[in-house]
Amino acid sequence: MGAVAAPKTATAGPRDAPAPKRRRRGLSFEGRLMAPALTVLALLSIFPFLYIVALSFSRVGLLGGISLEWAAFDNWTRLFSDGAVGASWLRSVVYFVATVGLEMFLGVGIALLLHEIVRGRNVLLSALLMPMFMAPVIVGLLGRFLTDSTYGLYAWVLRETGIYTGEILGGTTAAFVAVTLMDVWQWTPLITLIVLAGLASMPKSVIEASSIDGANYWSRLRHIVLPLISGVLIVALLIRSMDAIRYFDIITNTTNGGPADATKTIPIRLYETGFRFFDLGYAAAIGLSMLAVSIILANVFMNQLKRRGLAK
Amino acid sequence: MSDARGGVGKRIGVPVLLAAVTLWTVVPLLWMVMSSFKPSGDLTADPPKVGFTPTLEHYDTLLSGNNIGGYVTNSVIAAGVSTVIAVALGCLAGYGLARSRFRGKDHVAFWIISTRMAPIAAVVLPLFVIFRATDLLGTTLGLIVAYLTFNLPFAIWIMNAFFADLPPALEEAALVDGATRWQAFRRIALPLVLPGVATTAVLCLVFSWNDYAFASTFSGPDSQTLPIAASQLVTQTEIDWGQLTAIGTIVVAPMIVVGLIVRRWLVTGLTLGAVTGE
Repeated sequence: MGAVAAPKTATAGPRDAPAPKRRRRGLSFEGRLMAPALTVLALLSIFPFLYIVALSFSRVGLLGGISLEWAAFDNWTRLFSDGAVGASWLRSVVYFVATVGLEMFLGVGIALLLHEIVRGRNVLLSALLMPMFMAPVIVGLLGRFLTDSTYGLYAWVLRETGIYTGEILGGTTAAFVAVTLMDVWQWTPLITLIVLAGLASMPKSVIEASSIDGANYWSRLRHIVLPLISGVLIVALLIRSMDAIRYFDIITNTTNGGPADATKTIPIRLYETGFRFFDLGYAAAIGLSMLAVSIILANVFMNQLKRRGLAK
Repeated sequence: MSDARGGVGKRIGVPVLLAAVTLWTVVPLLWMVMSSFKPSGDLTADPPKVGFTPTLEHYDTLLSGNNIGGYVTNSVIAAGVSTVIAVALGCLAGYGLARSRFRGKDHVAFWIISTRMAPIAAVVLPLFVIFRATDLLGTTLGLIVAYLTFNLPFAIWIMNAFFADLPPALEEAALVDGATRWQAFRRIALPLVLPGVATTAVLCLVFSWNDYAFASTFSGPDSQTLPIAASQLVTQTEIDWGQLTAIGTIVVAPMIVVGLIVRRWLVTGLTLGAVTGE
């Protein structure tokens, strides 16, 4: 936090009267503006972070107030030898690749389609963005309603067309596919929105030149459009990836990890460990391993911002 | 690309595909809203019924029997107050960050972004223990604090991006004319980023209004929010889909409205300033 007090550079004019006063007070104008927010943020982030680290090295008792008992590396050695947690990580990776992969593919496709039309583009975009603003818990519950084997709309369609006749959230593969598709339904619009902004900012001259050169749509897409928006695509991918690790509401409210652990991704496992079995120490170790992944992603994101000259 | 020579394929293909995408997106939402007006008997009909006589019975039941007002109040207070605090502090800090150069600025930025991106499951855990020790469990204040863990870093980051896009020349001119730094910020810079402020506020509101994980862990009978009310309608034995779709509509509709109001600036907000729109 001390770094905030560093001197500021020349944005002010020659008659910048406050300068000497600033030096006397020790904290620059900018520093004073940042101080309240960063103090609150420090309380909200550093303190809980130190606490979760402490928890991960403890056996935590909850009866009659919280008690931490030093457990050395017990939780950590357990973490790296726990097959169930390993399976959850694997499931998370599959879930992540399936959801984010499909969202990128569909989002880019839909953005390219929207980019083709002029009339009604904004109205249509607004309609397509709607799922993004929904509470994920409602998306999950609505998904449950739609896939109910006796009266669900989508279950009925699948049954009538003969595609799938079983209990959707009851089958291991079907349940996994269902929660994946619910996530894809909710978050594809985000990718569409980001990619469309990228497409709109492409220099028109380049596209026109290639059009005159006689390149057809697909070769233009591959050799000109996609390279032009590659930076935007990476941002979309990173943003979505960081959020994909954050949220678990859809699974909690549909299958809650079942059937037979088929959808027990790592956040669901953490939640169960912490708040059903109240093994807070072990849950803390799992949580820190998740935090490590998101910090790596945040790091990649920062580097991407810098490369795009957007680090501000 | 609008005059690509796709010919017939493009003229027909694009609208057909867009129609399919629109159906895929809109049908679940329409179905939810429709179901909330369906008589109970028609809700579980097999095959699903499209034609029905609309009724307000589910909304009536919600409003009369279930103390929905309490949930609405809790949601509005928890999401609203955390939004106001986050945006106010975020505007100040975002401006400060955008206009300053200091050693370690990168580290501060990285700290902010990684706080925003921390997995909720990992944040819930220490907060639960801390809240238990400080008697914040089950209170609305606890939820406000919990929402600040993601709204505050988000607001600082986004406001920083909006302010950084503003050329400092205008403020410099004001300083030359004798304005103080505060006046230059308050009268020149802040009004110019009002769309950014609105977008930040909307997104903070949406994130916290939609929260389930924090509310389900931290809220008690006196502080439960609307998403919790919705999930509690699901019981082992039976689910009242009429009420559930009605409450779903109540939760979703206002966020779609406010979200679409700031659509032009959403890209900047949602990409944390990495991509700017129109």
